[in-house]
Amino acid sequence: MLEILEALLSSTLEYFPALLFATLGATLSERSGVVNVGIEGMMRAGAFCAAVASITFPTPVGVMVGMLAGAGMAAVHGYLCIRWRSDQVVSGMAINLVALAGGTYLLEALYGPNGTPPIQQLTRWHLPGLSEVPLLRAFSGHSALTFLALVLPFAFHWVLYRTPLGLRLRAVGDKPHAVATLGLSVMGLRWLAVVVGGMLAGLGGATLSTAVLDRFEQHTPAGLGFMALAAMVFGRWTPLGGFLAALFFAAGNALRIGLASSAPGLLEVVPQGFLLALPYLLTLALLAIQGQRTHAPAALGTPYEQESR
Amino acid sequence: MGERLRAVLPSILSVSLALAVCWVFIALTRDPETATEAYLQMLRGGLGDWPMYLDGGRVTLLTRPIGEAAIKAALLLLTGLSVAVAFKVGLFNIGAQGQMLVGALAAAVVGAQVQLPAVLHIPAALLAAGLAGGLWALIAAALKLARGVHEVISTIMLNWVAVSLVDNWLAVGPLRAGAGTGLSTTGTAEIATSAHLPRLFGEMSRLHLGFPLALAVALAIWVWLARLRSGFETRAVGLGSEAARAAGIPVVRRTAEAMGMAGALAGLAGAVLVLGTEFKYPGSLGAPYGFDGIAISLIGGNHPLGVTLSALFFGALRAGGTRMQLLGVHKSYPELIQGLALLFVAGRLVWLALLERRKVEKPVAPARQPEASPEVPRA
Repeated sequence: MLEILEALLSSTLEYFPALLFATLGATLSERSGVVNVGIEGMMRAGAFCAAVASITFPTPVGVMVGMLAGAGMAAVHGYLCIRWRSDQVVSGMAINLVALAGGTYLLEALYGPNGTPPIQQLTRWHLPGLSEVPLLRAFSGHSALTFLALVLPFAFHWVLYRTPLGLRLRAVGDKPHAVATLGLSVMGLRWLAVVVGGMLAGLGGATLSTAVLDRFEQHTPAGLGFMALAAMVFGRWTPLGGFLAALFFAAGNALRIGLASSAPGLLEVVPQGFLLALPYLLTLALLAIQGQRTHAPAALGTPYEQESR
Repeated sequence: MGERLRAVLPSILSVSLALAVCWVFIALTRDPETATEAYLQMLRGGLGDWPMYLDGGRVTLLTRPIGEAAIKAALLLLTGLSVAVAFKVGLFNIGAQGQMLVGALAAAVVGAQVQLPAVLHIPAALLAAGLAGGLWALIAAALKLARGVHEVISTIMLNWVAVSLVDNWLAVGPLRAGAGTGLSTTGTAEIATSAHLPRLFGEMSRLHLGFPLALAVALAIWVWLARLRSGFETRAVGLGSEAARAAGIPVVRRTAEAMGMAGALAGLAGAVLVLGTEFKYPGSLGAPYGFDGIAISLIGGNHPLGVTLSALFFGALRAGGTRMQLLGVHKSYPELIQGLALLFVAGRLVWLALLERRKVEKPVAPARQPEASPEVPRA
């Protein structure tokens, strides 16, 4: 029993960081009032660039490059949405399409259809004290990014709710005009949130290609970015809520894989497709129970115009 | 600049710029001659190989490529209309893919399991697909109306549910052709010949009834939106549901209707794929036509006629894209052009500002603040 729990926990922690980083990135962007459905595309760009850079440079440098790639995609989104007040959903979907097709094209042109050549994975940390204790052993043997993912939401929470910057970021998503009245730059704050959000999404993608896998594959991140959007909504646009939601999705995923591999007999009763659909059905059910009218930032999706009221 | 021109010009400029950027992209990764040759091949693959036809006079050199382009365009048109109709009522339908999937499955099941004469069989399969897609979309509409769940999230989730249930269970399990007999085939059983959409030019091309059908549907949607009371009310809800409610328009009903129709259109796209070219539900649907619909709709300005033009154009591009592979240019290239075009369309206000500025330099008219398109709902 303990071993099963341990395996589940370990598997959860494997899948969790990429989802969490993307969730936090989406949350940051949307808290400032900019809808970001382009998270999937930013993750894909991050995953691809991280893998390519890791072929020639040390893998941590590759992760940095992935973050920059995510930030670059986010800058395009920011330019269209903040500078030009374009429709934010359209811009986000366009980023997804470009990343999907462009990633496929570049992958094919540079390395062939099966993915990049294998790269050096990020070092896995074996914590000396922890690896002896049952259950807690599951925390050992992950990359540094997993530990970052366990700390980052709390840091994020602190910044958002305990610092002047956080107050401004939250305000700019709810009442941008009030922020402008104080002489602060609405545009500047939104740029900051969108670009750092894209950087986090890029980090999420980079996590996939450098820590979970050891390459970029054709379908990476296979919808994980959209999952992150669901986790953001489910977590009510808060870092800690997003943390719990991402953990829940990751656990659901681990449970699914665990069930399929540890109890093959189960697959004869419950079809595998149904198990695959389970996390999404659960999300729908939870969203339906939760109801979503009140939690989104008030100015979400509304481009800011100085002269409008 | 006239209103009409303001609406159309950014899309045309965006598509042209996307084509230009992609040409440069091939020229950089290969060389300029290859890039030009690839574009010529794309043109021949999408609009017919006119030079070779004029040389030898074989008419299939024209009918084959044009037929392929029309088949692709029919699918893009139906999913594009699906997204556009949802937009009109203020909803963003990211779920066309899932709706198309369940529609395709319904068409395959009715096509294979039911025995009917062709006159009834085809309509029955189309109807089943439309109903399946419509009901799938109504789940999202119900969640939105009753619980306020944002349709972007619910339709994304429903896409994954559809893929999981259909591609990973039904199509490989209970509905697989020869399930239980140990035969290894992919996809469901072949549909009966009475359910095949008839080909328009026999052996000369694969073009089938699905294409005129899609065009007729586009025309019907246009008439509905532009001329009928319910279409007007639907657009009113999309422009502002509070104002529409105050004016006595049944907002909930119109929203549900439009979303159901959007789903039905996507389901119809699935039926056209199955009844026209695949003749069974394949192991998986393959290309993400539902997501393409988003780009087609937005580039076409969410207007039925604009969507038609955009679907025809990208249908030809897609069909031509396969020809580019002869030169070693990857077949995802048309998708890249499509994605970039959408990105540039997203920046339509940049285009308008550029165009306005050039105009302002001459006369004294004050520069007008470009306004956001009223067609696209805020999320």
